[in-house]
Amino acid sequence: MIPKVISIGGNDVAEVAIGGTLPLAFLGGPCAIETRDHALEMAMRIGEICARLDIPWVYKSCYDKDCRSSENSFHGIGIDAGLDILAEVRSTCKIPVVCDFSDAAWAAQTAEVVDLLQIPAYLCRQTHILKAAGETGRPLHVKKGQFMSPWNMKNSVRKIEATGNEQILLTDRGTFFGYNMLINDYRNFPIMLETGYPVCFDATHSVQMPTSMGNVSGGQREFIPHLVRAAAGAGINALFMEVHDNPNQALSDPNTQLDIRYLENILSQAKAMHALRQDLLQEWGEDRVHLDD
Amino acid sequence: MSTSTTSRTIADILLPPEAIPVMPPRTLVKEALERMSASKLGLACIVDADGRLIGLFTDGDLRRLLLRSQKPLSALFADDIIDHARREFTSVSPGTSIADALNLLQEREIFDLPVLGEDGRLEGLIHLHPALRALLGE
Repeated sequence: MIPKVISIGGNDVAEVAIGGTLPLAFLGGPCAIETRDHALEMAMRIGEICARLDIPWVYKSCYDKDCRSSENSFHGIGIDAGLDILAEVRSTCKIPVVCDFSDAAWAAQTAEVVDLLQIPAYLCRQTHILKAAGETGRPLHVKKGQFMSPWNMKNSVRKIEATGNEQILLTDRGTFFGYNMLINDYRNFPIMLETGYPVCFDATHSVQMPTSMGNVSGGQREFIPHLVRAAAGAGINALFMEVHDNPNQALSDPNTQLDIRYLENILSQAKAMHALRQDLLQEWGEDRVHLDD
Repeated sequence: MSTSTTSRTIADILLPPEAIPVMPPRTLVKEALERMSASKLGLACIVDADGRLIGLFTDGDLRRLLLRSQKPLSALFADDIIDHARREFTSVSPGTSIADALNLLQEREIFDLPVLGEDGRLEGLIHLHPALRALLGE
């Protein structure tokens, strides 16, 4: 299988290419769009870090948080207001943006603004959602459901390909390990790479403990750096992390978002690990340990 | 072997493509097995977009795969059939005599022979039982 490279953005914003032996890309930003000023500030601060590290990146934030545990949790700023803010982030910072959507009817409107359309993990096998996303023609970021095997992601890929869209990024964000707990299976990267599409690691959602606190999800942020280093060495093409300047006060996912003060450190290590893996493979050749080869 | 059998060609007894499990390379193993079962034939013919035969997957290949693979069955089912297909196989042309085809089946100890046109396109399949019926003059 020849690895595919997907292209995000371009024209009026930076172009971010992901896949193959290209350098590690970063997708990041606050989980939810909170205010215009906060979104712009976060985009600029993350942008400065990525510029210093020379890491291509895509700004991530969402206008609707449909998978909250509680009716009382913040549900999002709404599609119209949210897309206006994302459009402003995009035009001000000249960076591509990514946002998820949880209703097939929102796909086209969302795709008019965002450069990369995201399918939430819980919805990764929903045919209406996948087809609506595919038909926009935008590159798609599909998160593997916590309940899905990596090989079954091929079915989601095929649903998208049926629309003629072959710009897909597949992401691992943890797998359910009993109740209220996730675990990372790094076999998922080479298995999902068998589809030919690039793969991404979502480090912040991987440390989530889904709805572990009764009506809100917990998380163990202390493991983020460990998981990132391991994933970067395991063969990812992109890294995804939700980043906030005050995670404990974040309106969504307060227990898993990364404090921005740690971002440069973690991205530096991720970039170095990713490059080291590429160097090792170049020196020693591809991994060929399977008895069938 | 009867004279009538030797004078006839396999074009007279071949199973046409619509009667055999013909599928594109990215068919899931699970779907391939279902189609093999539905056709009551122990092989799948994998063809490219132009109808050229590029691989065969047989009941024997499945047995060997199950004994060799350490993948969970759910993962194996989700593989593309072409990943487990044999790329080298015995085939015959439409002008081959039934006697020659039967000799080939016996010599190679196989049950099926794909019939390929000059361009490699799959034109049908010689299956042992119809060939035997022809041999016996039925």
